[in-house]
Amino acid sequence: MNSRERVLKLFRKEPIDRVPCFSGMGNITETGINTLGYRFAGIHLDARQMAETAASTFRLYGYECGIVPVDLCVEAEALGCVINVYPHAEGILYPTIKEKLIHNEDEMDIQVPADLSERGRVPLMREAIRILKADIGSEVAVGSYVLGPFTLAGQIMELNDLLKLSFKKADKVAKLLDLMADAIIIVAKEYEKAGVDYITVREMGATSDVLSPRVFKNLILPPLKKVHSALSVSSVLHICGKTNDIVESMMEAGPTAISVEHKNDVVETRKKLGDSALIFGNFDAYNVLVSGTEELVRSTMRKCIDDGVSAVWPGCDIWPTVPPQNMIAMMDEIKKYGGKK
Amino acid sequence: MADETKKKEILEKLRNGVIQYDEDACREGAQEAVDAGLDANEAIFDGLVSGMEEVGRLFEAQEYFVPEILMCADALYAGLDILKPHCKQMDLGVRGSVVIGTVEGDVHDIGKNLVRMMFDVAGFTVYDLGRDVPLDQFVEEQIKTDSELVCLSAMMTTSMVGMPKVIEKIKEKNPDCMIMIGGAPTSKELADKWGADGYAEDAGNALKEAIKMVAFLKKLRDEKLNK
Repeated sequence: MNSRERVLKLFRKEPIDRVPCFSGMGNITETGINTLGYRFAGIHLDARQMAETAASTFRLYGYECGIVPVDLCVEAEALGCVINVYPHAEGILYPTIKEKLIHNEDEMDIQVPADLSERGRVPLMREAIRILKADIGSEVAVGSYVLGPFTLAGQIMELNDLLKLSFKKADKVAKLLDLMADAIIIVAKEYEKAGVDYITVREMGATSDVLSPRVFKNLILPPLKKVHSALSVSSVLHICGKTNDIVESMMEAGPTAISVEHKNDVVETRKKLGDSALIFGNFDAYNVLVSGTEELVRSTMRKCIDDGVSAVWPGCDIWPTVPPQNMIAMMDEIKKYGGKK
Repeated sequence: MADETKKKEILEKLRNGVIQYDEDACREGAQEAVDAGLDANEAIFDGLVSGMEEVGRLFEAQEYFVPEILMCADALYAGLDILKPHCKQMDLGVRGSVVIGTVEGDVHDIGKNLVRMMFDVAGFTVYDLGRDVPLDQFVEEQIKTDSELVCLSAMMTTSMVGMPKVIEKIKEKNPDCMIMIGGAPTSKELADKWGADGYAEDAGNALKEAIKMVAFLKKLRDEKLNK
């Protein structure tokens, strides 16, 4: 069973030989970039460089997936925001939104551009997916991610305003989020056409550390349902933070699997959702994988598996400066321990 | 001097105005305090800040979430803007100036703004550099203003890693400057490793930390008054 078969069977809930170790979020490494002779700031605007860098984590460490994009600004840029890729940065700075689309409450009545699938870097992502798929697609599952409606709304307008309006003028926010869902679906459909095997919806702005479970149910859940029901490929819903109070709502949104981070108590989540639910997680991608020792990496992998995850998967993007020995330790431990449960 | 009943009524109005995120009530309460000749520092700490402490409690109890806190902060500022010009310089033993901002690569500033609110309340001179701030700018601003404190914020893991560079540069030029780091991905271990003097405890939320700091200042003031 190769990595691709293992991951696809997992999504179909068919028997597999061991727990896979993969992700639906960014996982490029500095070692990968350097091996290829690229610069981090350069890969965001070049489909081939992006795809080759994405493939390098599998090639170097046997990580069981290939993921593009690398940054979180694709949808916002296509909608009309101006992004900053920090072209001259020496180190690693991920692109951010420089200019928002909505500057105040009165500007919230926007339209999704009719040619959204041809705007910004959406065509570049299609190309990157095709290259990645042709490169390693027979060996690993190729995935992509989109933002969740609330997180995307927090990019195209001030998050501060969005949060307050979620409380004061929920109707207005609901309308905007529904529109965001439409935009996200258009982008996700392009990724599907380009051949991805699964799509992760990253609704990390709507964590239960920030919003009440009530607001989550009333405001965040409906557009998330809309997105998931529109997807044809397997989908994963990721939310950061203490998600224990909302895992049932996350499942209700309709993804194939949910993804949670280390602040989620997976033993509890497993109890709540039952044996057959696909729960991906839940290690700290920075404090364990980047700054932890090899032993911490190994014990954390075992803990994730013992707690009952369906796949070991980081709680966030893997930070590129991850030491190679920790990536090796992670994969080695999964191979040794992942079949025992 | 306002009589005790009137004073109590005004302080209660300020406190409840913050808790109920009622900007108008805070504005009215602040104006009444000024008109009645109430000590502005007292109105701030026993009215507005006392309200914010209760907001912190409601947040801990998960009755309030971030949207509510942001509205409460707006209400606090509505009152503070009116009271501030009437403040005599407070002597809490902690006054000074602070450089604060979100590091380059991060455009999130909610946590930073709530920590800033605490410094505004305490009468600090605040040099707010905003968000997505190039690392060198923190160093330059600290030297230019000779601030005792520099606060670095990052909400994303992907931007936090710029912090040790700033800490190193500032400490190199000015070893006495205190540096605090905050934001979701930071931790005590990272603060120690990077040579920062403090960090936002319970890194999961900078908001709670800001409220705790405000409460601490209030306690300092109360102790001083009771001496």
